Amino acid sequence: MTTSFKFSLNRGSVATGKWKGKQYRVERLLGEGANGKVFLVERHKAWYALKVGADAVDLQSEINVLQSLDLQKRSKRPETEPFLVDVDDLVMPDGREYPFYVMRYVRGVTLAEFLAKEGSEWFPLVGYNLLRMLSDLHDAGWAFGDLKVENILVAEYGRVELVDYGGLTGFGKSVRQFTEIYDRGYWNAGSRTADAGYDLFSFALLCIQLHDSKHLQLLTRQLLPQNRSPEELLKLIQQQPTLRPFTGWLNQAMTGGFANAREAAASWQRLVSRSDTLKSGQAVPAWLKWMFMLSAGAAASAVLYLWIEW
Amino acid sequence: MKQILLVTDGCSNVGVSPVVASAHAYAEGITVNVVGVVDRGEVGDFGATEIEEIARAGGGMSRLVNTKQLSQTVQMMTRKTVVQTIQQAVQKELRQVFGQTSIESLPPEKRGEVVRVIDELGETSKLRVALLIDASASMKPKLSAVEEAIRDLMLSLQARQGASELSVFHFPGSSYGDDCTLDLDWTNNLSGVQAIFPKLQMRGTTPTGPAIMQVIDFYRQGDYGRKSRDETDGMMSDYVV
Repeated sequence: MTTSFKFSLNRGSVATGKWKGKQYRVERLLGEGANGKVFLVERHKAWYALKVGADAVDLQSEINVLQSLDLQKRSKRPETEPFLVDVDDLVMPDGREYPFYVMRYVRGVTLAEFLAKEGSEWFPLVGYNLLRMLSDLHDAGWAFGDLKVENILVAEYGRVELVDYGGLTGFGKSVRQFTEIYDRGYWNAGSRTADAGYDLFSFALLCIQLHDSKHLQLLTRQLLPQNRSPEELLKLIQQQPTLRPFTGWLNQAMTGGFANAREAAASWQRLVSRSDTLKSGQAVPAWLKWMFMLSAGAAASAVLYLWIEW
Repeated sequence: MKQILLVTDGCSNVGVSPVVASAHAYAEGITVNVVGVVDRGEVGDFGATEIEEIARAGGGMSRLVNTKQLSQTVQMMTRKTVVQTIQQAVQKELRQVFGQTSIESLPPEKRGEVVRVIDELGETSKLRVALLIDASASMKPKLSAVEEAIRDLMLSLQARQGASELSVFHFPGSSYGDDCTLDLDWTNNLSGVQAIFPKLQMRGTTPTGPAIMQVIDFYRQGDYGRKSRDETDGMMSDYVV
């Protein structure tokens, strides 16, 4: 039920805050979230992302979450740059007012684009970075909630940033925003209460979505609601050669087998660096390790295939 | 907080107007939301207008969706209505205390504090949703999707921190003369329920208005039966300064 939000800012126009008077020059539309639009803007030769909300209470609720997250981060490391830069209202020429906030601009492409362009050997590393990022959020008592392909941006060398914090929810509360196909409740695998396991479940679905979105879509259409389950997803994983090496890990992530994201990240790291044992020498660049891992995985699955054929 | 969620695919044709009935509900502190399920656009202009009017009279919102979007729509509507109900109460308080007309007109810092209270109440206050399902003949192929949406809503309600319950009615009633039938009394768990709608006798009439009246009455009985009225609807006056 995404209600379309008719709002636009022209390129080159200047957005001025009603309360604090800061000015931003609009460059272009970056994207559309569940509850507003995000624009790329410039102020004092620096780029920012400016989000305009359709509903003041809804947007403020998101701002509150981002503020407490910034506070937590800076109480630990005061030198960290805040994510949230400005909060204000925008007055349009017709007199209508819209709330907005300004955040750090993250340069990057979506995860799917990144893997398509740079190659899937980056997947283990990006996955690891993402898990570490989730660990940080979880340590502060938050679940990201709406983890999905569209909400992950990847910058150079597989550095990950999460965007659209509309789903960010304190542990123990009901997840504020989610997407059905990534939702633990939708797959009859647990509650919709925010905890580390909720994000890890979505992470597992993200892996499936990246490697075999076609069959995942098919599965949602074929299964009766009461038959959706991690077991069905596991069958799909085992049919997909690139996912098969991750079967054990994904199963644990989908069934709440990890105590927290840190444990999940450590286990992921062990899994993807297992190829280290296959070759000698330490001076192998990281990207080559991933290549080894993948080819080893392919070989292993080929063997398994033959075995099944017999 | 009390809500009625009406799921229908067409026009009422007997008894009191559903718009009048819905206005009654609102007067008793029950918000009425309406989902029109339209798989092949059979709702028509008149039906669409009625759906919109029922929601407006009941202080709620309306959406026309296909069966695929049903679960998500029901979940989102319920959630948004919770926030809006509290928002309205807070708005009223604000007007009395500060003479401010809206939350939007507050400076961002103050707005942040108010919204924090709204979010907290939205998560923790007690919530009841009565689902009223149109089970006239044309709805028959859609009932499995409706059942799925109800189970999905239960899941979302269970995740809330505040006590949350739902009940289910369908109309027209199973026996002659009944405007609607209670399928499921207030519950917070559907795991033991095999089928919410056992074999229904589909009948021709669509007494939407009388059915709404009956659900209002059901709410009323529940309130009389339970001594501690404060717990059911006293949350705003207690909480909001």
